[in-house]
Amino acid sequence: MKILEVNNLKKVYTTRFGGNHVQALSNVSFSVEEGEYIAIMGESGSGKTTMLNIIASLDKPTSGEVLLNGRNIVSIKEREISAFRRDNLGFVFQDFNLLDTFSLQDNIFLPLVLSGCSYTDMQERIKPISAQLGISDLLAKYPYEVSGGQKQRAAVARALITNPQLVLADEPTGALDSHATDGLLRLFNEINFGGQTILMVTHSVKAASHAGRVLFIKDGEVFHQIYKASMSEEEMYQKIADTLTIIATGGEHHE
Amino acid sequence: MNKLFYPKLALNNIKKNGRFYFPYLLTCIFTIAMFYIMCLISFDDGLAQMPGSAAVRSIMGLGTIVVGIFAAIFLFYTNSFLIKRRQKELGLYNILGMEKRHIAKILYYETVITGFATLLLGLSFGILLSKLIFLLLYKMLHFAVPMGFSIDKFSIFLTVLLFVSIFFLTLLKNLMHIKLSNPIELLKGGNVGEREPKTKWILTLLGLLTLSGGYYIALTTESPLDAIPLFFIAVLLVIVGTYCLFSAGSIALLKGLRKKTNYYYTAKHFTSISGMIYRMKQNAVGLANICILSTMVLVLVSTTVSLYVGVEDQLENRYPNDISIILQDPAPMETDSVIAAVEKSVTTQGLTYKNDTVFTSLTFDARRKGDTFVTESNDYMTSNGSAELQFLTAKDYANISGNKVDLKENEVLLYSKNNTLQNQFTIFNQKYQIVEHLSSFPTGADYVMLYINFYYIVVADQAALDRIYQAQLTTYGGNASSLTSYYSFDLDGTNEKKIECSDTLQKLLNNSISLVDLDGTVLSEEAVYPEIFLESRQSNANEFYVIYGGFLFIGLFLGLLFLMATVLIIYYKQISEGYDDKERFEIMQKVGMSRHEVKTSIRSQIVTIFFLPIAAAIIHIAAAFKMISKLLSLFNLTDTSLFITCTGLSILVFGLIYAGVFVLTAKAYYRIVS
Repeated sequence: MKILEVNNLKKVYTTRFGGNHVQALSNVSFSVEEGEYIAIMGESGSGKTTMLNIIASLDKPTSGEVLLNGRNIVSIKEREISAFRRDNLGFVFQDFNLLDTFSLQDNIFLPLVLSGCSYTDMQERIKPISAQLGISDLLAKYPYEVSGGQKQRAAVARALITNPQLVLADEPTGALDSHATDGLLRLFNEINFGGQTILMVTHSVKAASHAGRVLFIKDGEVFHQIYKASMSEEEMYQKIADTLTIIATGGEHHE
Repeated sequence: MNKLFYPKLALNNIKKNGRFYFPYLLTCIFTIAMFYIMCLISFDDGLAQMPGSAAVRSIMGLGTIVVGIFAAIFLFYTNSFLIKRRQKELGLYNILGMEKRHIAKILYYETVITGFATLLLGLSFGILLSKLIFLLLYKMLHFAVPMGFSIDKFSIFLTVLLFVSIFFLTLLKNLMHIKLSNPIELLKGGNVGEREPKTKWILTLLGLLTLSGGYYIALTTESPLDAIPLFFIAVLLVIVGTYCLFSAGSIALLKGLRKKTNYYYTAKHFTSISGMIYRMKQNAVGLANICILSTMVLVLVSTTVSLYVGVEDQLENRYPNDISIILQDPAPMETDSVIAAVEKSVTTQGLTYKNDTVFTSLTFDARRKGDTFVTESNDYMTSNGSAELQFLTAKDYANISGNKVDLKENEVLLYSKNNTLQNQFTIFNQKYQIVEHLSSFPTGADYVMLYINFYYIVVADQAALDRIYQAQLTTYGGNASSLTSYYSFDLDGTNEKKIECSDTLQKLLNNSISLVDLDGTVLSEEAVYPEIFLESRQSNANEFYVIYGGFLFIGLFLGLLFLMATVLIIYYKQISEGYDDKERFEIMQKVGMSRHEVKTSIRSQIVTIFFLPIAAAIIHIAAAFKMISKLLSLFNLTDTSLFITCTGLSILVFGLIYAGVFVLTAKAYYRIVS
């Protein structure tokens, strides 16, 4: 079953007085099956982040549509959009985006509190998630008291606690050391194995090699994609690296 | 390198940081103008020539010192805010290759430019405004307004001296700050110290204790004379309490709320409580400052306005009659002779008098112990349970009250406010029966009793009064009181006529008086120089207007200054918080908070931060109300409803201005956050 469909997405940025037009996305189409783990790669300025922002309903496309479970999120009203985002999407960011004013537990609770969840319900939900992420002992701590890897795990917990349809991750390993990166990627695989659909934007070949499918974006279009299938992570790594080289040296467009 | 490089860079910096610099410059200009005007008033020659101006000048001199000190503290405060905001910028200069001495040069030029500009503008503004202020002041003081326009060189010199030193010291402080920190620290400067504050129970407890102590004193002090020293203690306690409770108490309270999971984990309270905990850490002192400043503004304005508005009332209280003549220890027939002379003089001036009363009384102090008055000391202030006793004869009482009474020996009538005596008392080992507790007494007794435990005692006859006088003389010796005669009356005619009359009488009484009997027969040719005081309500009215007008002026002036300070502190607070909160609200929006929810959360936080200090200030005022009205009674103001009205109006006006500032800063805040 298709959980996400992106059809002919186009985004043109114009300056305030309509002077300069910059085309960030020219024509992007792809779809995501339920339970898939997809990495999106591309160079800086290729339009990855714009695309992610549109899927996250943080930004509106110039044209095209984004269907989440068959519902076009582009046409959701401004008033409902935050609630929609809260209930259906989970976010993991490069710089964690945890609030220093909350303990890790309260950071994780934030989306639930906004949805009006009861305290007992929240406690029920956090137990298995924090156990799985290995942060049960850290819940009372504050973001500035824990390491980067621990912060990112708390951020993942915050993304998962609403049982979202889709987890969107924007360079989740970007601010982590190699050890913490390995831990987080393993975690993503575990979560994905448990049935969670994940869409990750990354620069890191290593991060992408853990995904089930890798999409390459170039100049605002989907340029190429690789399925991992039965490949090992090392083979996948090699294949991604080769593809990137081809893209960088100007290869032909092929599907 | 271009010689003008640093000055240009400095000027550019000021322009770029306009949002922070503009309010600071405005404050500098206003403070300079105000200080100049204050100086001008206290050194003004025109004012010095006015009658009763000595009091005004000393009030103004005091005001000048207050404005000066306040200006220094306040400019330091805003400067420290400015430099904190600019750390990143200065750090960047440092990293881009500027040495610290270059940065120092920039700061130096910035200070020179701002100092020069604000002094120039402030002084010109002050000079232009001074005429208007003078008109206002003279009007308040009921002085004739002199023509002309003066610029006082000495005041300018003093103003320049003070503010140049302040600017120099702030520059020095900034340079020290730059010198002591490395570039990385400077770059990060904006966001350090984001740790959750600890709950300080001891400080909270101390705050609760001091605040309730201050309130307790304010609410339980009954005697206005005690109120003077106690008032300062209470103010001190309340100030300490305010600081403690704002800094520690607020955090304790918020953390307590956070522990209540059902309350805390709701969309409405979740973000605002956690945000407030952090805000309080950074802002507690600022908020306490605002609270105390607002309280000061309100107290100053409400008291001085009520004193000024109630001046006629106070005159009436202080001087029940147009003219009162007091004779100390009159010789036999002296009182009658004086009365005869005065009557003659008044009639010759073509005036008629009315409501004339004469009585002789003996007043001394004792300490009350049950039913006995202990006569250890003739000084009201020295002992607890002090009582002031005034004795007069039944005949004089009948004269002034119109009630004829018949008393036997050792029988008395008594009038006292906090009367707990039953039907007898003992003094000088003599028991007196109280025949009647009087329900009222003439001679302005009620007014006197506001701040002294006064007992008016009517004794049978002159013999009885003499007995008490003699006993008192033996007991107190050199400190004994003498008999005093009071002669008072009202006059018909205009105020000018009355003043003229009082002046004539004063001259008459300064000369010797020959003793005459009631028929005008001269008893003795020997001249007598009696100890006589003359008080005229109309002559003293001017002095009242000068003093209370001076108070009002100072009250409004300082009120304005403090208000400006309050406004500026709030503005800076909101702006700096806006930058801190920007990131937080961005994250919250990413995690699924809607724009609307963000706005609601911001509003609830700003409203709390804004109105907490003013709410506390109003509570302070309410608690201090009783004590302040006691103090005002020392200034002869007994009209409580007038004081209530003035306080209410001050709060209203202040609240409106405050709300206006709130709207403006909230707008600036939203602009930053979104």
